[in-house]
Amino acid sequence: MNGALNGFGVALEFEARKAAASRVMVSITVLLLAGVAAIALGMLLAAASGQEQVLAKLGPLAELDGWERLVGVVAQVTAAGGLGAFGVALSWMFGREFADGTVSALFALPISRPTFALAKLAVYGVWAVGVAVLLTVVVAVLGFAMGFGATDAAGVGALARVPLLAVLTALIAVPAAWAATIGRGLLSGIGVTVVIMIVAQVLAVADFGTWLPIVAPALWAIAPESVPAAALLTVPSVPLAFGALCALAWSRLQLDR
Amino acid sequence: MKEPAARIDACALVRQFPGGAGIHGIDLTVAPGEVHAIVGLNGAGKTTLMRLLLGMLRPDRGVVRIGGVDVRRAGPETWRGVGHLVDHPLAYPELDARANLRAAARLHGLGRREAVAAVDAGIAEFDLARYAAVRTSRLSLGNRQRVGLAAALLHGAQTIVLDEPTSALDPAGVILLRESLMRRARGGAGVLVSSHHLDEVARIADRITIINDGRAIGTLDPAGAELERAFFAAVHADDRARSAA
Repeated sequence: MNGALNGFGVALEFEARKAAASRVMVSITVLLLAGVAAIALGMLLAAASGQEQVLAKLGPLAELDGWERLVGVVAQVTAAGGLGAFGVALSWMFGREFADGTVSALFALPISRPTFALAKLAVYGVWAVGVAVLLTVVVAVLGFAMGFGATDAAGVGALARVPLLAVLTALIAVPAAWAATIGRGLLSGIGVTVVIMIVAQVLAVADFGTWLPIVAPALWAIAPESVPAAALLTVPSVPLAFGALCALAWSRLQLDR
Repeated sequence: MKEPAARIDACALVRQFPGGAGIHGIDLTVAPGEVHAIVGLNGAGKTTLMRLLLGMLRPDRGVVRIGGVDVRRAGPETWRGVGHLVDHPLAYPELDARANLRAAARLHGLGRREAVAAVDAGIAEFDLARYAAVRTSRLSLGNRQRVGLAAALLHGAQTIVLDEPTSALDPAGVILLRESLMRRARGGAGVLVSSHHLDEVARIADRITIINDGRAIGTLDPAGAELERAFFAAVHADDRARSAA
């Protein structure tokens, strides 16, 4: 048991070091934070100037103001764009081993391949929580810069939705890791991410899928009151199921393609 | 007194791919202290054979034992004694050479302190001091191969499997590798190297086995003259025999 734990610790350190040294993860983080902030700011400024198309796009959010409108816009952008960023990150973390050919170096080691897969998911989880915290800070700065702190002190609580939604979105991206493994590269992971994104967005806009784990976060982003807390609690079933599939796929992996 | 288990013992290995390529029944051993070279033309099955030995592929039939342990049941203790470079070195482009070697040492089971000493020794052995702090993505192919070889060997492996280890090395690198392998073999390691030509490393082998079309078709005497001539004669004779069959 100690040996297995020690092996996981070594694999975790190895995967964390690769992720920290990689320009890919830094780029995804910066693009996600800057992208969400820019889109949210643009939409709020356009709505404030009375542009009808933007107000129509905002839907029920147009009737809100202050923090609630800001967080509502950020939540919708994160549910779609954030899912893309998280899925690309996972596709790279898993698919790059095949694309770069480094997967062969992960065979015939004292540390098992499923341990590497789980270590990758753990590093991804820590990174995703970090992104959620940073996104919340960015949104808070944006809100205070727009003067919401003074005019809508009571609405600050709405900010708490941002990190929760970011983490939930990160959780439903985990199938990308399994797809990148099965497809032996980045593209299959990115493809599955796009499919999840489309399914989640289409069903959420249709107000369907409260109890579907991959839809619940997007629906909660659009209409928080329509999604009970218990429905959000089903979301971790996605990373649990696909994390297990991922570990199994790495366990049975062969270099036969 | 009981003889020590072979470092590698493969028996009746078969792994066939659609179209007929693959390994069609090979027996192969590498004894402690032995350098065994396998030579063959491109596509002969050398890399497939090495993948089977290391668990990167599962055989359709046959068994592979490393240190007497069936690789299907091999655990950390068995793999800790194995060093390999097959297909691609453990050399991540985003890490510098030292970080890659440190990762290799830790992944092969060395403790933190042991890893530091092993990395220093690996850098010295493969003359990598100038590149220790350079991102691997910026290294030449030959220096990446040196990093990969150091990564495969720095933990004192007793079973060493290297697929075409000299393919990108300059003459100085070839000599470093040759000396390194001879030193390790003298220390009891069993070394299996492949080559598509009879290079400097194949020439230090105790045994040379010729692979053609997924089968072991004969051996070459490492001390013999005209090795290339003997190699091509064996390959062409085998090709003619299979065409006639």
